[in-house]
Amino acid sequence: MSATGTCEYQPKDYKSDLKPIWCPGCGDFSVVQGIYRALAAIGRPPHEIAFVSGIGCSSRIPGYTTAYGFNSVHGRALPIAQGIKLANPDLLVLAAGGDGDGFSIGGGHIAHLIRRNMDITYIVMDNQIYGLTKGQLSPTSQKGRTTCTSRYGSLEEPVNPLLYVLAYGAGFVAQASPTDLVGMAATIEEAIRYPGFAFVNIQSPCVTYGEEAQQIKGLKAISESLQSLGHNPADRLAAMDLAQQYGNKLHLGVFYRNPEPPPTYGDLVKERQTLLSKDAPPKERILDLFIKK
Amino acid sequence: MAIQGIDFAKLSLMDALDLAILVEDEAQERYEEFAAQMDQHRTPQAAQFFRYMVENEAKHGRELLARRVQRFGDAPRSVTRAMIFDVEAPDYDAARAFMSPRKAMEAALASEVKAHSFFVSALPSLKDAEVRALFEELRDEEIEHQELVKIELAKLPPDSGLSDEDFVDEPAAQ
Ligand SMILES: Cc1ncc(C[n+]2csc(CCOP(=O)(O)OP(=O)(O)O)c2C)c(N)n1
Ligand code: SF4
Repeated sequence: MSATGTCEYQPKDYKSDLKPIWCPGCGDFSVVQGIYRALAAIGRPPHEIAFVSGIGCSSRIPGYTTAYGFNSVHGRALPIAQGIKLANPDLLVLAAGGDGDGFSIGGGHIAHLIRRNMDITYIVMDNQIYGLTKGQLSPTSQKGRTTCTSRYGSLEEPVNPLLYVLAYGAGFVAQASPTDLVGMAATIEEAIRYPGFAFVNIQSPCVTYGEEAQQIKGLKAISESLQSLGHNPADRLAAMDLAQQYGNKLHLGVFYRNPEPPPTYGDLVKERQTLLSKDAPPKERILDLFIKK
Repeated sequence: MAIQGIDFAKLSLMDALDLAILVEDEAQERYEEFAAQMDQHRTPQAAQFFRYMVENEAKHGRELLARRVQRFGDAPRSVTRAMIFDVEAPDYDAARAFMSPRKAMEAALASEVKAHSFFVSALPSLKDAEVRALFEELRDEEIEHQELVKIELAKLPPDSGLSDEDFVDEPAAQ
């Protein structure tokens, strides 16, 4: 308890008793630490946080926190998170998963959460591979990459997650990596504080199936903080320009933060409810609305 | 390795001691994490070595804390964990499933070398004589820590030249 009578949380308060079963050295170990730190900085009690994921190694993450967690269905973290947020707007809702979960099977959902500006923070642990299912090509794998499903090298261009969400109009877009845990925690915190849909792409190495260049040493060699480049996060076009270097450069920090965040879907729903509530029939007569007079 | 928001030229002795304690805390926590990862993956020898490192870092941290308290009591700390990253802690991906004790020790040795270069690179920026003396001491201690790890390495049977992957099946899907 602080001097002002409010509870102060420590990162360990968000750590569950469950022991992660990720491969030792997996980048996701650092991501969960970054999330503990960010949540402690935000200071909401764990029971006011809902953490939803899909399926994958990375999607195990809610279980390692003390928040309410839902390790759901492959690719469906976002619609479930959206439902939770609409049912209980007071909850802090986080969604997380892998690049496969988010940009392959679940890729269609992102656009809709963005255009609705759902107040949800979406963290993708981008390891450019399907980890859980043992190393198949993922939507962010580099062209030419050999895996068990691309023996002669991938023929496809990778998805660029940063450009993808920027193009759909996400109000907060950032990137982090285990090469800078302090920066990662600060970025996640900022994403959570943004009033609307916030996306954080975390380059999180898969030590078992990932390539050498994608491990921490390789990431350090190509990383550059956006702040040190003098990037203005209010400039969406500059953000899109920088995001084009995804795969060649690892830009860390905030690409884009809408300086004038539009209302969230939750705000609009509340407004509509207030407007209509005076003429609304009692609950037990609600079906009358559908009966022609 | 990163240090943020610390102006070494203006570093006071109290801040320098606090910084050194935080560096030990971070390394201790990382070795604890690694030991737990090794337990989870049934790699007891590497886990045992990482616990040995936990003890070493904790002992050093306690010594520094005692000095800090003796000299500055419980004066509030102005440096925070958010200012340091990976100074003496091994990189997150230094752990590996089924790593041999040798690999575990090599990872720790690399971290001690990293910590030594941190103190060496900070020295030219230091202005305060007491802070400089402390950093020189810490730099030299990193050499001692390296020696401790080398002693453990020397106790191991000679390396067969085979890598862990020669013995281990691909991890089963979880
Ligand atoms: C509907 C459905 N399709 C396919 C799968 C198999 N599957 C499980 S996880 C996964 C991909 C994992 O990759 P990613 O989402 O990138 O997460 P990672 O394991 O790399 O963290 C796939 C294809 C499934 N569980 N459900
Ligand atoms: S397979 Fe890769 S992504 Fe999955 S736990 Fe292991 S290192 Fe992490």
